[in-house]
Amino acid sequence: MSQVRSGVGEMLGVLFERYHVPLFNFYLKLTGDRPVSEDLVQEVFFRILKYRHSYRADTPFRAWMYQIARNARMDWLRKRRPEASWEPEMSPAVPPVDTAQQSQEAMLLHSALMRISEDKREVLILSRFQDLKYEEIAQLLGCEVGTVKTRVHRALQDLRQVFHELESGKPLRGRGPHRTWPTPGSVQ
Amino acid sequence: MKCEEIGELLPDYLQGRLRPDQAAQVEKHLAECSACGEEAALWKNLALLPEEQPSPALESRFKAMLESYQEGRWEKTNLASEKSKTPIPMLWGLGNWRQLPAAGIVWACLFLACGYFIGKHADRGPDAAAQAQLNEMRQELGATREMVALSMMQQQSASQRLEGVSWSTRLPEPDPKIMDALFHTVRFDSSVDVRLAALDALGRYSGRPEVRRELVDVLETHQSPLVQVALIDLLVDLHDRGAVPQFRKFQQDPKIDPTVKKRVDWGIQQLN
Repeated sequence: MSQVRSGVGEMLGVLFERYHVPLFNFYLKLTGDRPVSEDLVQEVFFRILKYRHSYRADTPFRAWMYQIARNARMDWLRKRRPEASWEPEMSPAVPPVDTAQQSQEAMLLHSALMRISEDKREVLILSRFQDLKYEEIAQLLGCEVGTVKTRVHRALQDLRQVFHELESGKPLRGRGPHRTWPTPGSVQ
Repeated sequence: MKCEEIGELLPDYLQGRLRPDQAAQVEKHLAECSACGEEAALWKNLALLPEEQPSPALESRFKAMLESYQEGRWEKTNLASEKSKTPIPMLWGLGNWRQLPAAGIVWACLFLACGYFIGKHADRGPDAAAQAQLNEMRQELGATREMVALSMMQQQSASQRLEGVSWSTRLPEPDPKIMDALFHTVRFDSSVDVRLAALDALGRYSGRPEVRRELVDVLETHQSPLVQVALIDLLVDLHDRGAVPQFRKFQQDPKIDPTVKKRVDWGIQQLN
C-alpha cells in the first residue's frame, strides 16, 4: 500500500516540478500578491491529488490544470475579506534586468498590466505567459475563440493606453483619487 | 488595411499563427500605424517581465502535503472534515466540489473507504476484500501515471514530450488512451525524435492485433523516411506477415525514398 502511495507521490512530484513555477507566475501576475499566489499554487496541487480521477485523457492536461487554478482563485475571491484589494505596495518587486532602460520599461509594463481590468489581464497572461492557445483559453473561459481574440486585442489597447498614462505621469482615469502611481525610476 | 481589420488578425499574428501572406500584410500595417505598432511592441516587451520564483516554503509545504498523503493521514483528515461538516479552511477544503464531475467524488469516496478499511484490517493479513482493494489502489496508481504521461506528451518542448513518452512505458498494462496518444504522437509530432520514441513505446503493445493494424496504417500515411524505416523494422521484428501486402504496395510507390525502398525490399524478404 505504501508503495502505491509513494508512486502517486512521485508522480505528483513530477507535475509539481514541471508546473509550480508557471502556476505561481500565473497567480502572481494576476493578483500581484506573493503569499496569496503561493497559497493558491499549493491549493491547485492539493486539488490535482484529490481529484486526479476526474482528469479525462481527451482534455489537454494544462487546460484541466488551469481550470482547477481558476476555480481555486474564484473560491479564494469569494472567501477573502473585501478590503484586501490589490494595492501597489503588494506588487512584487521587479528584479533588475540588463539595462536601466529595460528595467524602467519592465516596471512600467508591470504597473500597466496590474491596472487593466482583471478579465483582460487574465487573458493576456494566459496567452502571453502561459503559452495557451486561444482555443484552450476559450475552453477554459467557456466562450468562443473569437471572444478570446477580441479580448486579447482590447487588453493590448488598454495596456497601451495605461502604459502611456504612466509614462507621462498623468493621473489614471476612473481608478480612484487616493492612489498614486510610481513614476519611472521611483521603484527599484 | 484598416486598424479594425488588423485588430482581427493581430492576436493570431502575435502567436505566430497567420499564413505568411497575412503576416506580411499585418507587418506592413504595423510599420505604418504607430498605435497598432505599439500594441504589437507591448506584446513583445511583456517578455521583459521576469519569471518569478516562489519562496522555498512553497516546496516545503508541498512536500509536507505529500508526506501526509503517503502516510495515510491525508484521507483521515478529509474523512474527519467530511464527518464533522464544519467549515473547511481553504487550503485543505473541498473547495468547489459541487462543480466537479460525479465520477471524481465517487472515486474519492471509494479511495477514502479503501484507505480506512485496509488501515483497519492491516493486522489480520491480506484477505480477499483487502486484495481487491489493493488492486483498486494499483489501478489508481496506473491512472495517475497515465495522467502524468499524457500531460507531458502535450508539452511544447520536444524534450518534455520525449519524457512523456518515456513515462508511458512505465504503465504496467496497455491502455487505450495512452495508445491513442502515442499513435497521435507518431503521426503528428513535429520532432522526429519524439515520433521515433513513441514508435518504440508502441512496440510494447504490438502483441495486440489492432495495434499492428494501426502501425501498418501509419506506414501508409507517414512521410518521414526515418519513421518509415523504423516502422518497417518494427513490423519485421514482429514477424507480421499481414504487413506484406502493404509493403508491396509501398514498393510500387514512385515517390518513395530510395533508402526506404531498400528497407521495404529487405522487409519483404524477411517476412517471406
